[in-house]
Amino acid sequence: MTILHSALLVLLATSVVACNKSTESKAAADTVDAQRALSANQSSPAPVPATAGTVGADGQPVNALGAAVLEFHKHLETYMKTHRAAEGKVPNLKRTDDPTEISSREKALGEMIMTLRAGAQESEIFAKEVQPYLRKIIVDDFAKRSLADRRALVHELTELPKGAATKVSVNTVYSTSLPLLTFPAALLQKLPDLPPELEYRIVGRHLILRDVKANLIVDVLRDAIPSST
Amino acid sequence: MTTLPVRLFSILLVLPAAIVAVDALELQQRQPAQIAAAPAARPPVAKDSVKFLVIGDSGTGDRAQIETAQQMWKAHSVFPYEFAIMLGDNMYGSERPQDYARKFEQPFKPLLDAKIEFYASLGNHDDPNQMYYKPFGMGGKRFYTYEKKDVRFFVLDSNYMDKDQQRWLEQELSQSKAKWKIAYFHHPIYSSGGRHGSEVDLRSIIEPLFIKYNLNVVFAGHEHFYERLKPQKGIHYFTAGGSAKLRAGDIIVGAMTAKGFDTDQSFMLIEIDGDTLHFQAISRRGRVVDSGTITRVTNGGTS
Repeated sequence: MTILHSALLVLLATSVVACNKSTESKAAADTVDAQRALSANQSSPAPVPATAGTVGADGQPVNALGAAVLEFHKHLETYMKTHRAAEGKVPNLKRTDDPTEISSREKALGEMIMTLRAGAQESEIFAKEVQPYLRKIIVDDFAKRSLADRRALVHELTELPKGAATKVSVNTVYSTSLPLLTFPAALLQKLPDLPPELEYRIVGRHLILRDVKANLIVDVLRDAIPSST
Repeated sequence: MTTLPVRLFSILLVLPAAIVAVDALELQQRQPAQIAAAPAARPPVAKDSVKFLVIGDSGTGDRAQIETAQQMWKAHSVFPYEFAIMLGDNMYGSERPQDYARKFEQPFKPLLDAKIEFYASLGNHDDPNQMYYKPFGMGGKRFYTYEKKDVRFFVLDSNYMDKDQQRWLEQELSQSKAKWKIAYFHHPIYSSGGRHGSEVDLRSIIEPLFIKYNLNVVFAGHEHFYERLKPQKGIHYFTAGGSAKLRAGDIIVGAMTAKGFDTDQSFMLIEIDGDTLHFQAISRRGRVVDSGTITRVTNGGTS
């Protein structure tokens, strides 16, 4: 190999490193931008989608986003009533040296909620009214990211371990073969708040609502995560 | 002189015993040969310093975890750490009571018997209900804080950095008067790992707080190797997620990498004495693969 070849290789390697660095900086800058946008929006729970307002019961126009979020919170509260009722029927979970107590309690709470919610349907909480807003929040978040960041995130979120039970359905236990994939922190800041007993999670391309203490899938919003391109 | 039949008879008599002896020797060699006879860990510099063990991504219950845990215990004889921090993925796969035993209680039995306290953080493979398990020291909380002498630890749940946790972190950081502020959690916000890399999303949210409130050091796991990064905006970052799982050859050495080790399992020993933090990274075979000091400067930063 000539000196010229070596010099060209070094130049190429330097460019690749610089390019990677720039991609990472861009991704960081994008998320910082998203964070700034969030800070500006702190008073409202989520960015307002570009849709026309709707008309309320009194005939007055209402903010479509506000109405949808209100509806979402109503559904959440309905679920929380069930959760609290179930908690009242199973032994309290306290700090313990015995892992049997932890798993028994988790199982008992899950079974009690499943019983109380027998017949629960998908989209009871991620109701039709709120779905377009949640999807838009997610799509907008992804759109603001660099292509490299988007690809990396989708790869991380949608790549599941071999043999993992990827089928998710309402009122079932979150499979122990599925890791609890990290929820993108900047996106989490933009989604409507949840009570501490519940959390958003992503399985494959689906957004799920998970009961933390019962390890239960409470609702599913299918194909909410965009593809990488 | 013995006759041939007698000699043959003697050989036949001795042979099985010899085979058993050789097998035993081989077994003996196979098992302890994985671990150095004398740990290479260096002793602490001061008696009253804060000394702790750093474990990451340990919950496999497999041979690698057991051997690395044995090495941790050997290191304790030279470097008597008082507590251990866990960087998440405390348990892979199922979390039945027998998994708690196989993936935590049995491998770390000597440490638990010696009353070494554990303070765990949650990884992406951990059920948050682990927070109720007393030996993990989480006090029933996904994110929490505690103090050891001059050092305040902030333990985060990086799987789910919601607004509540963000507010809590800011409040706790702003109130802390500790000389040293150390955060630890599962996902590294700076990493040279080829598999995962830096968690820039999480970084955009927590790094401004780390800088604003003069955090000194961050430990993370998730990447199955050891890495020390060059200080980023005045903060020192370590990744130590190779205490059972190993992603060999995954470090892509770049501008951020100060030192990487991705050819064997590892853990860390930390000592904080006054304004100096001493660190050692030890391999499963007991070799010190990295070591050094970090000095805290008086304005709250580090050098």
